[in-house]
Amino acid sequence: MIATNVRRLGFYLILAFAVVSGSLVWWQVIEAPGLAVRADNPEVIAARRSLMRGNIFDASGQLLASSEVIDGLSRRTYTDPAFTHVIGYASFRFGSTGIEREFEDLLVGQTDPNPLRDLINDVLARQPQPRDLTLTIDRRLQSFAAEQLGGDAGAVVAIDPRTGAVLAMVSTPTFDATPISGDPATAQGPMDALRNDPAEPLIPRARQGRYVPGSIMKVFTAAAALDADVITPSTTYEDQPRQETEGFVVEGFTIREHDLGGIQPDLWPLSPALQVSSNIFFAHVGLDLGADLFLEYGRRFGFCSAHEIGPPGRALTVAPSYLTAPVDGDCGDFGDDVELASAAFGQGRTQVTPMQMALLAAAIAGDGVMPHPYIVRDVREHAEGDSPSDTVLDRFGSRGGSRVVGTETARETRAAMVDAVNAEMGRLFAGQGDVTLYGISDARSAGKTGTAQLGGEQAPHSWFIGFAPAQEGAEPEIAIAVLVESGGSGSGRAAPIGGQVMAEWLRLSGADGD
Amino acid sequence: MRITWRGAELRLLLPVLLLVPFGFAITHIALSGTFEPGPLGIALGYVGLFAGAHLALVAFGHRGDQLVLPAVAILGGFGMIMLNRLPQGLAGTSAFGFELGMAATQLVWFTIGIVAMLVIAVGLRDDGILRHYKYTWAAIGIALLLVTMIFGYEVNGARLWVNLGPVSIQPGELIKIVLVIFIAGYLAETRTLLTSARMRIGFLSIPPLPYFLPMLVLLAIVMLIVVRLNDLGTALLFFGTFLTMLFVATGRRSYVLIGLLLFAGASYVAYQLFGHVQARFNIWIDPFADPLGAGFQPVRALYALGRGGIFGEGLGQGLVTLGGNLTIPFVHTDFIFTAIAEELGLLGGFALLAVVAVLVFRGLRIAALARDDFGGLLAVGLTTSLGIQALIIIAGNTKLIPLTGITLPFVSYGGSSILASFVMIGLLLAVSHRSSIGADTDASS
Repeated sequence: MIATNVRRLGFYLILAFAVVSGSLVWWQVIEAPGLAVRADNPEVIAARRSLMRGNIFDASGQLLASSEVIDGLSRRTYTDPAFTHVIGYASFRFGSTGIEREFEDLLVGQTDPNPLRDLINDVLARQPQPRDLTLTIDRRLQSFAAEQLGGDAGAVVAIDPRTGAVLAMVSTPTFDATPISGDPATAQGPMDALRNDPAEPLIPRARQGRYVPGSIMKVFTAAAALDADVITPSTTYEDQPRQETEGFVVEGFTIREHDLGGIQPDLWPLSPALQVSSNIFFAHVGLDLGADLFLEYGRRFGFCSAHEIGPPGRALTVAPSYLTAPVDGDCGDFGDDVELASAAFGQGRTQVTPMQMALLAAAIAGDGVMPHPYIVRDVREHAEGDSPSDTVLDRFGSRGGSRVVGTETARETRAAMVDAVNAEMGRLFAGQGDVTLYGISDARSAGKTGTAQLGGEQAPHSWFIGFAPAQEGAEPEIAIAVLVESGGSGSGRAAPIGGQVMAEWLRLSGADGD
Repeated sequence: MRITWRGAELRLLLPVLLLVPFGFAITHIALSGTFEPGPLGIALGYVGLFAGAHLALVAFGHRGDQLVLPAVAILGGFGMIMLNRLPQGLAGTSAFGFELGMAATQLVWFTIGIVAMLVIAVGLRDDGILRHYKYTWAAIGIALLLVTMIFGYEVNGARLWVNLGPVSIQPGELIKIVLVIFIAGYLAETRTLLTSARMRIGFLSIPPLPYFLPMLVLLAIVMLIVVRLNDLGTALLFFGTFLTMLFVATGRRSYVLIGLLLFAGASYVAYQLFGHVQARFNIWIDPFADPLGAGFQPVRALYALGRGGIFGEGLGQGLVTLGGNLTIPFVHTDFIFTAIAEELGLLGGFALLAVVAVLVFRGLRIAALARDDFGGLLAVGLTTSLGIQALIIIAGNTKLIPLTGITLPFVSYGGSSILASFVMIGLLLAVSHRSSIGADTDASS
């Protein structure tokens, strides 16, 4: 009796089994190819984890970063912590930074830079070919600069003013990125330690750190005023000698001179004013230039907006430097003339990156043309082992530059900067930036120190910008910016580092027959 | 009594029991990269269990169906191989000074389950205790549900678990058995009435409500509690089992149709009322809308099915973990089928479905051959409960229906599920035994 109904039930159950089997066919046969290429497919993620990454070499072919795949997991090894803030890290847990991030498409062998989809299709369709990168940075200079900074927090940026090639870009404190880029299972501890370190080693100070510039800004103020014909190299301000001691009252606020170290105030034109770093003189220049021109020249030099090291799309970003309090990522208006006068000698609300100040030095060194910086020199076939392949696939040459001031302006500013290092009064302040102190006999430096007052009990930041060789007729090969956080006076800490790094580069490039 | 050698059972068990250690060895080779079989203790223990069960049935002269035990052995074998291959830290026991991994714990539950199955299959010579005390069984079922509601604790939003010292049990797994016993008993008594008396509204035959009342009241209570416990899979399973039993008892498709309409209506109301039901439904409709959030688990499961393809990635070669995390959360319970279909492919998935089908159709055969209506309805209820449970979770794995957190019988990890499933097999074998004894008696008289 029941048996008939059981048989009918059996028929319905067969239908149910058939439908479920059909759904299995749907996913395992019909939909399977579509599923395989979706970006959140764990297999795609796993494939990316096991992707071989190309090597990164310095300008002289020394290995800086390399990968090996262990247990299906690509692990990155970095040879020199001095490069951490340039190369960054490639972590499965924390993402990528620096060149590892911006050049990821080239490093993993997908030359179409944009769509992630292409990457994934490529990953699945064929074995990707990793590419190797060569930096413009010479490891010898980078390490030398890092040694000079020692245990201090700070940055050194050196640029070839002729091409924009970055010669050194050091940020300290730094860290070893290898543990972060290795096994994700063990990466959390080292990362937490870095994140909790009060010295903030994760910040790439050279391009992301913003600091009060102090007197190195006077180079900008001078160049802008000369170029706008607001001053000439012989312009003087008759009230200036008196104001050196009594102060310069602007809108009821008294601007005071810094400690001149016993130098008697005098009626100073540009060169001596830059040598002794007269705040009073440059406050007058700034006020004569006016807020509008000050900001306009600032924008020409790259202030007030972010810029990039390398062509757009594959470049390290540089945080914007500000001349005033920022508004929506741009420079706002000056609050009053006191702020404008203060900005003219590098105080007020100015906030600058070391990279921006190196570009300022490079613009003066480059006859008024500010180079567009770049940091990757070429892309090569992936090389097994420690030496780069000879097969260059793509070259990133100079990106040229943009004229920011006239040739004459650059020449006059440069002459004042040479005096600031070499002339009698200048030697007292920026003399330690002189390359002849460090074994170079046939070249002179140009430069300017900065001592950025931070208020309160905080020790000032120590700055130096400069370039060499800078004597009449020579073509500068290196422009530099040095920052030492709370390093005291510019003359004491940053200027000697600047002088030594420039001297080291002249020595290295001279030895290479450059 | 004539000795029954149960030759078919032995011949079917032999290859199964060879393949389980083989599967263990293959996964070990694939996972370790060495050409060594690895530890086979659990596999050999599994073989020993089923060999022992077979011998015990022979020794006690059991005349029940001979395909049921091999089918269970295959399903359990699929499960043991996968559970042994998954990270052992996923589940396990630590009690009385012992530390057992997931596969070892599962083996312990298989031991307990097989003993329970044998006791019932051999010991239950008379089904009076089931039939005559059906209201007691119903009361026990409701009591178990209330215990769960009061003392239970939640895992993943559903309150299914009751803590008993070292082990946690899911009373829901046991309730479905007593519910089947009650419904079988009730329908066996009233089916004549239910079939003959009829009321009509238009073209639909309406069940004669007074006769249905006790059963419907019980079902309503159970469903309410189950829904309250947020255990939607179990609710679907109970209701589906009830409808099939009703269909077999009465032969009325219209009853089933009414039941399905009621269920659809109730589902709609639940969707409107409960946020979690809506969430579950929306994930089902489009899991890819939030592949890293709400849709994570089903999306990952579909990827695993896709990876498996037709032939599978091979035992031990599925992408079970990624960077130390499971690619599919709850792969050892809700998604064990997906893991098997990933490594053994569509063919392996079909094989598993086929074995479930064999088990179901042997169960229906037992029902059809049963000596009386109670035995038949009991067998139908037990069989469809196992079969529907398997279909619900597999269909949930393949996104055919919304995912529910119920186990794949004999395959998923979980003591309560294993024990309950073996109790059901024990009851099936008992029914089967009685009908063959009856057939012999009829033939000889």
